[in-house]
Amino acid sequence: MAENSKGWSDQLWSVFSSMKTGLALLGIVAFVSGIGTLIPQIEQDSEKAQAVGQLWQAMGFTHLYSTVWFRLLLGLLCINLIVCSLQRFHGIYKRTFKLTPPSSLAQVPQKNKVVVQGQFAPLRESVQEVLRQKGYRFTLSDQSDSWSFIAIKRRMGNWGSLITHLSFVVLLMGALLGSILGFKGYFMEGAGNTLPIQAIQVSKGTVSETFSVRINSAEDRFLANGERDNWYTDLSILENGQEVIRNTLSVNHPFVYKGITFYQASFAKGAHFTVDRNGQKTPVVLRENGQNYFQAPGTDLYLITTTLMGSSTSQKAGAFYQVYKGTGVQPVQSGQLTNGQTIDVQGTYQLTFDGATGFTGLQVKKDPGVTLIWLGCTLLMAGLLLAFYWQPEVISGIFQAENGRQGKLTVGALSGKVTDNTRKALEQFVSSITK
Amino acid sequence: MLENLETIMFYSLVMASTLSMLLYWIWIGSKKEIVGRIATYLTILALLANTAAIILRMIISGHAPLSNGYEFILTFVWGIMAVYLFAEIRNKLRSLGAFVMPIPVLLLMFIIMGMGPEERIAQAIPPALKSQWLTFHVVTAMLAYGAFAISFGIGIMYLLKWGKEDEGKSNSKGIVARFPALDVLDDLSYKVIGFAFPLLTLCIITGAIWANYAWGTYWSWDPKETWSLITWIIYAAYLHARLMYGWKGKRAAWMAIFGFAAVLFTFFGVNYLLPGLHSYA
Ligand code: HEM
Repeated sequence: MAENSKGWSDQLWSVFSSMKTGLALLGIVAFVSGIGTLIPQIEQDSEKAQAVGQLWQAMGFTHLYSTVWFRLLLGLLCINLIVCSLQRFHGIYKRTFKLTPPSSLAQVPQKNKVVVQGQFAPLRESVQEVLRQKGYRFTLSDQSDSWSFIAIKRRMGNWGSLITHLSFVVLLMGALLGSILGFKGYFMEGAGNTLPIQAIQVSKGTVSETFSVRINSAEDRFLANGERDNWYTDLSILENGQEVIRNTLSVNHPFVYKGITFYQASFAKGAHFTVDRNGQKTPVVLRENGQNYFQAPGTDLYLITTTLMGSSTSQKAGAFYQVYKGTGVQPVQSGQLTNGQTIDVQGTYQLTFDGATGFTGLQVKKDPGVTLIWLGCTLLMAGLLLAFYWQPEVISGIFQAENGRQGKLTVGALSGKVTDNTRKALEQFVSSITK
Repeated sequence: MLENLETIMFYSLVMASTLSMLLYWIWIGSKKEIVGRIATYLTILALLANTAAIILRMIISGHAPLSNGYEFILTFVWGIMAVYLFAEIRNKLRSLGAFVMPIPVLLLMFIIMGMGPEERIAQAIPPALKSQWLTFHVVTAMLAYGAFAISFGIGIMYLLKWGKEDEGKSNSKGIVARFPALDVLDDLSYKVIGFAFPLLTLCIITGAIWANYAWGTYWSWDPKETWSLITWIIYAAYLHARLMYGWKGKRAAWMAIFGFAAVLFTFFGVNYLLPGLHSYA
């Protein structure tokens, strides 16, 4: 039984330490990701995704990238990479830091090999001199009638692929952390309003923070040439009703508070009203196109605004409004208001239009994994630069005396990834020592 | 005024690159040194005109050339020709031009035939596109895609030559006789992909950084992102297969061709064939 289970774990290890498995997994990830671009995904096009057959939806095809089995695939890839890296670590370490000069001809790389005739001591001198000049690190080993050396340049390049692979693990950890501990949400709010952070629409995760956000202003600014400059939101963070920080954000210039980032995402026009009911005044902010409504307390009257003219800074703003009663489809009252104008709504309250205002749409996101993501990206780039732009060169050789001090030096270069470069490096080396 | 100059530069680019393509073809058949030299000069001229067109466009619009398909193709073509000239001059490999130059010419033809004037003019960019990261994103994409186009050309040459040698006509006087030896082509293709792979990675990373600034998500699996990931995986597979299983030669050449097909699909297919988003590129 014990024998058997050892066999099992060995087998498992060998599956995970195989690059074939790794490549197969990568291939499957690529294939599955490709399928996800052909089927509408909930995150991008929820309407179309909901029109996909029930069975497909249930199997996760419409939210492919967040399904358990897609994550499992990435998890397997991750294990694969870790196992591979563990297995290769020692070898890379030895190839980088523990190089030993060849002790026999057979240990000289055979593919790229050159034989040079020379004298025992002068040739040794010359090899040392050239290696030093060309910036190799080298080790010499002396025997009575032979000497040998091994030299390496750009040795850190050996670590490139290992770092690349581990960076991928770091990236996946970052993504996992973000999806476990983070949240993602959105809110749209008019200038002047305050919103508890827990009241935003959350699409992923849960919000545990308790502060509030007050929108001081929301503006859609234009440049002199008529092009849109940017959307700007001036907001304050309130802790227990006290302003603790105030900041202006815009698209591409997010604002971070307690690890929660606010991104300017969209903008809409809105209108400021004052509702006066028996002398009791309430400020009301409504969004264009009837995106939200005001229900006068204790009544079944719903007020919306449809179209707005002018911007928050202009005096000549105007607003079209409609009032609905109960579930009625036709408005019971509608009309247009100019700045400062007051009207009576169904004999219930007085409505004053105070001017146009902006509604700002903000993405709110907490992602504690993002630091790991940037770390992973940095490692990934470092690993790739080492692997492709910093390739090591290894030259080794052994001198064997033949008659007295005369003898021949066999030099070989370890094949790098580009055979051409290896050959050139060897040629250059040989021509330098025989000069 | 500047607009007119830009149009002149664009058509100079079209003419110079088309002519150079034709001359590369003639050169490869005729072996007249002077023809080949003119082809190279015309490619340099095309690159200069392309550079001028891009710079003029940037002056006119006031931002990096990435507000529409026209500008993207212009930078793509620039990347291909720049990397190509580097490869030609450094490796004295003029025959490659006959296989690489058709790509920018076809791309330019796509602009001329497929895009109306309203699709070509400089446009205002939405606030989300106003980011330095986006510039890095485009520059790295341009160089990486350019290099992948070169490896595609080399792959085609490899397969042509391989086919001829397989028929036992290796010493024939056909055009392939002028190609470098098979293993030289293979090595070069690997070098070019090794140069481009880190750039493609950097392109994806800068895209992620920018998306994180603009929308708060570094990766959202939109089709364009996903296809760039698939392209990346194909080239990663190429590198691994080569290193570990010694997949060189014919199989490597096919993978280089396949990889570039994925590049083109990421560039065009996603926009024109897939139902979807990526409203910007
Ligand atoms: C996540 C995607 C992966 C990337 C981006 C990646 C990247 C790389 C790179 C850049 C190299 C160096 C190649 C060269 O210099 O030509 C490499 C080598 C290698 N990779 Fe990967 N790899 C990935 C996945 C894997 C997987 C899943 C395995 C299998 C467990 C694997 C196993 C290896 C091995 C064994 C080498 C050989 C290294 C050497 O001998 O120098 N890789 N990889």
